Formats: sequence, C-alpha cells, structure tokens
Amino acid sequence: RQAHAYHMVDPSPWPLTGATAALLLTSGLAVWFHYHSTTLMTLGLILMLLTMYQWWRDIVREGTYMGHHTPPVQKGLRYGMILFITSEVFFFLGFFWAFFHSSLAPTPELGGCWPPTGITPLDPFEVPLLNTAVLLASGVTVTWAHHSLMEGQRKEAIQSLALTILLGCYFTTLQAMEYYEAPFNCAE
Amino acid sequence: MALASTATLLRRAFASAAAAHGGHEGGARTWKILTFVVALPGVGVCMANAWLKMQHGSHDPPEFISYPHLRIRTKPFPWGDGNHSLFHNSHTNPLPTGYEGPHH
Repeated sequence: RQAHAYHMVDPSPWPLTGATAALLLTSGLAVWFHYHSTTLMTLGLILMLLTMYQWWRDIVREGTYMGHHTPPVQKGLRYGMILFITSEVFFFLGFFWAFFHSSLAPTPELGGCWPPTGITPLDPFEVPLLNTAVLLASGVTVTWAHHSLMEGQRKEAIQSLALTILLGCYFTTLQAMEYYEAPFNCAE
Repeated sequence: MALASTATLLRRAFASAAAAHGGHEGGARTWKILTFVVALPGVGVCMANAWLKMQHGSHDPPEFISYPHLRIRTKPFPWGDGNHSLFHNSHTNPLPTGYEGPHH
C-alpha cells in the first residue's frame, strides 16, 4: 500500500511502441520521398494507431475503474494540458512570424509586392469566415458537453459531443474544398 | 482575427455570468441555449454569406504567365506523375507548362 496520493504507473509497452512508431513514420516519410516505397511509413502509421488506442484505453481504465486519478494526479494532468496549449500557442506564433517576415518586406523574387505577383488570395470573408464561425460554434458545443458531463446528464453530453464532432468534420470538409479550389498550392 | 477575439471575449463574459448565478445546475442549460441561439445560427448566417458570395464570384482563372517563383519543381512529388500537387485542380491550377487541356 502506498503512503501518498500519486499514481505509480504499472510497467507499460506503449511508450516504446509509440517511440518506434515515431521512428518508422519519420524514416518512412524520407523513404517515400526518395525511394518511392510506402511500406515503412504504413507500418509506422499502423503502430501509431495501435499505440494510441491501447495507451488511452489503459488511461481510461486507470482513471475510472482503478481510481488512480486522485486530486493531486488531476492537478498534474491539468498542468500537462496547460503546457500542451502553451506549446500550441508557440506553434502558431511561428506561423505568424513567418508570414510577417515574408509579407512586410517582400523580396524582388516575389515581384517586390505582397501578395506576390501571380498569386490571387482567397476572400477571407467567404469560407475562412464560415470556418471561423464553425470553430467558435464547436467551442460552445464542447463547453455544453463539459457542463453536461459535470452535471451527470448522459444524453445531453453525448448529443453535444456528437454536435462538436460534426462541426469538426464540417470544418475539415470545407478546408479540403478550399485546398482543392485554391488557385495556388504548396509549390508556389 | 478581430472577430475571433471579440467572440472569445463575449463567450468569456457569458461563462463568468453563468458561473456567477447559474452555479452547477445552470451551466449545461446556459451553453445549450447559447448553442442553438447564437452559435449555430451564426454558422448558418456565415454559410448563407459564403454561398451568396461564391455565386457571383465565379470567373475564369487568370491567364497563365510562367513566373519562376511559382509552380516550383525542385523535386518531383512522390505521387502520380510527380508533377501534380496533392489537391490539384485542373481548372484553377496550371502546371509549370500551363493549364492542362482546353480550360474553360
């Protein structure tokens, strides 16, 4: 019996399979680009999906049936989420930096102007605005799901979560359409 | 960007208002109402707007000029014939040599 409230995790193979999947995916990508074989990458993908399913299944078991997610453990999990969101913020910061670097002082190779010569930008108030509304709406529905869960309302929790996922699928579909319709692509 | 932060501010105001008086019973109900009165109608309005704009925006793709800074092919794509981008659309995406076939 332990004399503390922390979670001493049982030995698990998933960190190893996850790391192996990462290796197979990255090297598989390089092999695909240079030697035109998708075998390694496919193996990595399968291993990654298996790892995700089994690792998260184990976490659900540990946190519910086995009672390991005590308040101090939950606090740690919250810290983890905060750290992840922070890293996500920096991820986007990078994109904004790159954009402003290129657009505020456009090089002669682009025609010395922004947007670059030959590039017709998308109207931000068309599909991009719709996608913003979809994402914000999914934030509202997921908050509804959260509160339903906390209040023990199973049916509403499922409904609101389903709505959230539906909105996510709608966003992805719209993005795919935008990618297809756009007059420019990654080679520009 | 401004739209997103304004909406976020509004959402935060709603959330703290709900927390202040709704407490633990009102929470889910408040957000359910917000979903069907604000969020989903907002999406609907933007859908209508996008649809209307798309209808009277259809025009021919711009004429092809072989700029060196566009349609870069330092290495063939690892799929197909190596010359088509992943979401290639022959109506709007010319190849480095020009639009494919008779384009409309």
